[in-house]
This record gives sequence, structure tokens and C-alpha cells, in this order.
Amino acid sequence: MRKRHLSRGLAILLGLSLAVTLSACGSSSTNDSSNGPTGDYTGPDVTVTFWNGWTGGAAPKIVPQLVEKFNSEHKNITVKNVPMEWGDISAKMPLAVKGGKGPDVAVAHGDDIATYAAQGLIQPTDDIISSLGYSETDFPDGVFAAGNYTGNQYGIPWSVTPLGLYINNDVLKAAGIDPSVVPSDKESYLSALETLKTAGTQGEWVDGYVFTGVFQFKSLLWQFGGEVYNKDVSKSTFNSDAGVEALTHMTDLIAKGYSPADVAPDGNINALVAGKTAYNWNGVWQTTNEALQKTDWSAAPVPQIGTEKAVWSSSTHWIFLNNKNQDKNKTDAAAVFVKWMNDNSEGWAETGELPANNTLRNSPDLLEKYPNLKPFIDELPYARYETSAPGITNAEAELATAVNEAILGKKSPEQALDDAAARADKILEQNKSQYGG
Amino acid sequence: MMQQHGPTKFSSRTRANTVASPVATNVRTDLNKQAVIRKPITRRRTGIAYLFLTPFLVLFGIFIVAPALYGIWVSLHTWNPLLPNKPFVGLDNYTQLFTPGSLTFEPFWNSMGVTGLFTLLSVPLLLVIPLFVAILLNQKIKGGTVFRAVFFAPYVLGVAVVGVIWGYLLDPQLGVVNSILRLVGIEADIPWTVNEPWVWVSLVGVTIWWTMGFNTVILLAGLKGISAELYEAAALDGAGWWKQFLNVTIPGLRPVMMFVSTVTILASANMFGQSYLLTRGGPGTSTKSAIMYIADQGLSQNQMGAASAMSYVLFAFLAVISVINFRIQRDKAS
Repeated sequence: MRKRHLSRGLAILLGLSLAVTLSACGSSSTNDSSNGPTGDYTGPDVTVTFWNGWTGGAAPKIVPQLVEKFNSEHKNITVKNVPMEWGDISAKMPLAVKGGKGPDVAVAHGDDIATYAAQGLIQPTDDIISSLGYSETDFPDGVFAAGNYTGNQYGIPWSVTPLGLYINNDVLKAAGIDPSVVPSDKESYLSALETLKTAGTQGEWVDGYVFTGVFQFKSLLWQFGGEVYNKDVSKSTFNSDAGVEALTHMTDLIAKGYSPADVAPDGNINALVAGKTAYNWNGVWQTTNEALQKTDWSAAPVPQIGTEKAVWSSSTHWIFLNNKNQDKNKTDAAAVFVKWMNDNSEGWAETGELPANNTLRNSPDLLEKYPNLKPFIDELPYARYETSAPGITNAEAELATAVNEAILGKKSPEQALDDAAARADKILEQNKSQYGG
Repeated sequence: MMQQHGPTKFSSRTRANTVASPVATNVRTDLNKQAVIRKPITRRRTGIAYLFLTPFLVLFGIFIVAPALYGIWVSLHTWNPLLPNKPFVGLDNYTQLFTPGSLTFEPFWNSMGVTGLFTLLSVPLLLVIPLFVAILLNQKIKGGTVFRAVFFAPYVLGVAVVGVIWGYLLDPQLGVVNSILRLVGIEADIPWTVNEPWVWVSLVGVTIWWTMGFNTVILLAGLKGISAELYEAAALDGAGWWKQFLNVTIPGLRPVMMFVSTVTILASANMFGQSYLLTRGGPGTSTKSAIMYIADQGLSQNQMGAASAMSYVLFAFLAVISVINFRIQRDKAS
């Protein structure tokens, strides 16, 4: 009990002491990168600190290898690889940067970029991008825009991670369904679920959590022609008719007995692995799920339930930190490192992420080595990315609450979405007043 | 210390000087004299006492008092720690909390309700069950020490460990608990960590399992402190087990009970880790406790000003409850 006491005290104290530290720091200087790097770094020897959240799957082996290779090829640059949990990065990086102790380069998720930019944590990368010779067309549609804030580009796209349809072929066969015929529209999908139900299997387990109920909801929202927010992200629109239709589709799966109620986090992919269900809408990262490899599985683009094709995807971006007294040489060297990584990361797909770089991703070698990635790559022309606006994750949390409440039967889809939209709107208003723009 | 030394040192002189005066005056002059005569010694003693207390006071000042005062200052601003501007807003963060329809009103009071319900559900059980276990352990049974250790053991675990262990055990689809239930013929996949009312059973149950050992040990010490002669006397008067419990055990435990109930109420009111790790605050925000909401506002949403104001409102509630609890128990005692 004293421990709980302590943890509460600690949380508040920590917050307060952070506030003390920060207020002492003041604002940090912005660096002028007019003499941007040209793909080659000729300055004095520097050590570039690189933070990333790649702690699982194949990444802990691949990243150090890549970094070592880079270091051996570049005499005057030493990259220091610092992996830590994604959660730790979000918690530590802002304060570290304000204190001048943050990394020189890092990888961040698309929905954090605008927030970091508004907080002055990262540098605009327009010059770096043009000096490295990148342009919007080097990446899938929409990924570049995810790194845009007030007309400037922040960050260079690194990977994209769309949702897809995972299929347990053994379960389909047991229900008498031919696995080679993959449902691609609402009718064929629901009829497959009906056949599975008759065979005693609940075909798609719907969960009400960010992973992956919310991703599924957003995919469906876009498929029904809806948007999560309005254009200048001042109002939430996820409670539109399209949103209600999307969420109702999900709750109907439960009502019709195609999905059990009260699915736990990750309950659906676990059920797919255990052979208890046939379909699961999940991210490309599950292609490297080790338990999954023991089953006869395949992946396909998500079925088109609504009126148009759309699928949720996340993106990760290289960001260049704006540390207090940031050494410009380190930023230049970091840009060389990023360029090199984007050019030399054929093996990146091993980690269950798609390289954002078109040339790399579309090279035939990639699919030869990782054939399971094909459906995910095929989806990219109509993939949609996270909204880019400062403080947006605060509003996203309300949407997650709505999906949770509807899936768990606490509220009707319409009621849940309306309530969440009202709260999210107030947060958007707060974001505007604090971050401007 | 002073009370022990004072009278012996000065009593003879006092008695000689005030033979005829009434007792009350006697005592008062006695005290006055003591105060005059003993001043230098008292001062030195106080000085030494402060010297010994200094290390604690310094830490207490730096880590408790200063941040608490600073928290008041923070709560008067829109305080986003990552932005250069932290505009002063007066009591705005507080008035928001009491204005229906504001950004923080509904979620904050919802979370206070969650904390209140959790406290109501958990505190009685955290007093009754440990009392029962303590009485059992107080019997002369074989292996009593082992049982005491067994009951106390979970308390040494951190909330992260408790959360992860029970997260696995209670998982609706993969958990051991539901597997065992299936073995005994209960087929329903009970959503222990997912939906109501089961989330409450899990949160309260896990909290009891985790912390009852502490209350048990304190109550056991209290039981051991009750004189055996009282039980003998009660038995001679014909009191049975139940009468003895009501008239000897319960009154004898009163001071200990006051401590245990105060600490338990405060701990339950500060519940965070269990719902953060087991239920993620869900379904919806049904188990999102006050501390969880405050931490979310301050640390993830960077609204330090609003979070500080909420902390102070929660603090006010806990202070009032603690005072009431103290009053009730003290009145009973006198």
C-alpha cells in the first residue's frame, strides 16, 4: 500500500520536478541548415546519437549490423545506436531534447511529428530533403504529407505499416471454404463468415482497442467515405453517418454471432494462431509473429466493406532533433546516415515493416524474399495515414474510448461516437489555443 | 523525556514553597517556574532534536513541501511543459473542474466516481478479511509463521509485477483462471479484464490479494497486544467466543484499526496501477481512476496546470475523509 502511495506521489512529483527543470531551460535555438549536407559529410569527426524503438522481432539484430556497416564505411562519423521501448522514447525524448541531451536523429511515428514540430523539438527538413535529392514521389501517396506542419516538411519517411486481412487457411478448410478464394467485398466476406458460423466457428473476432479495433474502424470509416477530422483539424467528423455505419458494421459482427463479445487485447490474433477464428484485421507487423508461422496462414488486402477502397496505415519518419545547442555538424552527419539507411535497408522488411522508399520497396528482390508482404504493398495506393496536427493523439484517445464503449456494448455506436466527438472537439480547440496553427 | 525529568527534579522545591495554595495554582506556578528555570536546557535539547531531524526535514522540504507549493503555482497556469509560454489563468483550472460541459469536468468527476466506488468496494473487504485472517493466525496453530509469511508475501511485489501476473491469469481467452473454470464445467469466457461487472471483481480481488498481508500483520500485532487477562476475566464472567470478540477484541484493536483504516482508505483512493495495467481504464472509462486520469492529463497530454488543480481537489477530498475517519474513531474511543 505504501508503494501505491509512493507511486502516486512519485508521478506527481516527477511531473512537477520536470516542470521545474523545463522552465529553467527556456527556449532552444533553431539551427540554420542553409549549407545542408550533400549526401556526403566532410566536417570534423562526430558521434551521432540515434534513438529508436526497435526492440522486438528481427530489428535488434539487423539495426546494429547496419549501423556497424555504416560506421565502417564512414571514417568521420560514428553512429551510436540507442534502442529503447517506443513508450520510453515518447516519455523521455521531449525533455531530453529541451535539456540538450536528446539524440541527433531518431525515428518517430507519423502522428507525433506535428506535435514535436509545434513543441520545437525537431528541425524542419526541407533543406536536408532537397540536398539528399528526395521528393514526395519517392514515397507512397500521403506519407510525405504526414510529416508536414505549417508548410514545412519535418522528417523523412522510413516505413509504412498498413492493416491487412490475416487468414487461417486450416480453419477455412475445416468449414468447407476454399482458401484460394479470398473475400474482397462485403457480400463475399459476410457470406464466408456465415458459412463459418454454420460450421461452429466465429470467423472474425472484433476487439475494441487501439490494436486493432480502432485501426479497423478508421479503415471502414474511410471506406464509407468519411473522414476522422475536418480539413483544418478543428472539428472531429468521425461521428458522421459514415462513422456510424463503420462502427455498426463492427458491432453487427458481434450481434450476428460472427464474433464473440468482450474480446481481450490481442485476443483476435491469438485466436487466429490457436485456430479458433479464420480472419483477423491486423497490421503488417504480424507477418513476423513467430507463433503465427506454426499455422497455415496467408494475408490479403482488407475487404472493401464500404463504398470505396481504403485501409489504415501508420508511418514512421526519420526526425532530426533540435537539441538545445544542437551541433550542426552532427545534424549533417545524421542526414548522411539517414540517406545511407534508406538506400541500404533491403533487409528491413524482415522486421515486418514496409520500406517507405518506393525504389527499395518495389524492387523484385523484396517480394522474392518476403512474398507475404505482397498484399500489403498492393494496398498502398489507397492506404490512408494518421492525421498530422499538434496534440492530435490526445483527441485520438477519445475515438479509442468510443470504439471500446460500442464494441463492449456500453453505448450504441452513434451515442459512443457523438459523445467522443464532443470531447475530442474540446481537445482540438485546446490544441489550437496552445499550439496555434 | 521532559515530563519524566521535570517533576522529579523540581517537585521537592515546589512542594515546600506552596504549602497552603490550592492545587490548581500549585500546578500552574510549578509549570511557570519550570519554564523559566529550564529554558537553556530545553533550548539545547530542542536544538539537538532539530539536528537529528534535519536530514529528514531537508528531504521532506525539497521533495514534498517545495513541489507541493510549486504545484499550487503550476495549477494557476496553462502549463504545457514543452511550450515556452505558460500563461497565467488564475483559478481557471479549478473553475473548469466545477463547470459542467467543460473539457475536464465530465472525465474528472467520472474518474473521481471510479475512485470512490473502488474505495467503497475494497476498503470494507480489506479490513474484514485481514481481521479474520489475523484472528486465525493468532490461534496457537502449527506453522503459523509460515502462513503469516504466505499471506504477507504478495505485498512485497510491485504493482507492475502484480499487474502483469494477473493480466496473464485473468486473460479472458488465454488465462489460467478461465481454463480452470472450464475444467469444472463453467464454459463462459468471463471477461475479467474487459467488461463490467467482472473488471470490478478483478480490480478489488487483485488488490485484496496484493495488500491484505500488510493489514493482516498490523492487526495481528494489535491482537497480540491485547492482554490475555482481559479474555480470562471475560470468560469468568461467562462471555462466549462471540461476546469476547465484541467486547474485548474489537475495543482492544481500536487504535490499530484507526491506523489501518486510514491507511487503507488513502491507498484505495490512490489506486492507479491495477486499472492502468489490468483493465486499461475500460470498458470505456469505467475503471479510469482519478490518479490515472490526472497522470494522463499531466504526463501524456502535457496539461500540467489542469492536472495540478485536479491533484489539489483530490487532496482536499482525501483530507476531509481522513479527518472524518479520525473523528469517528476518536469519538468511539472516548
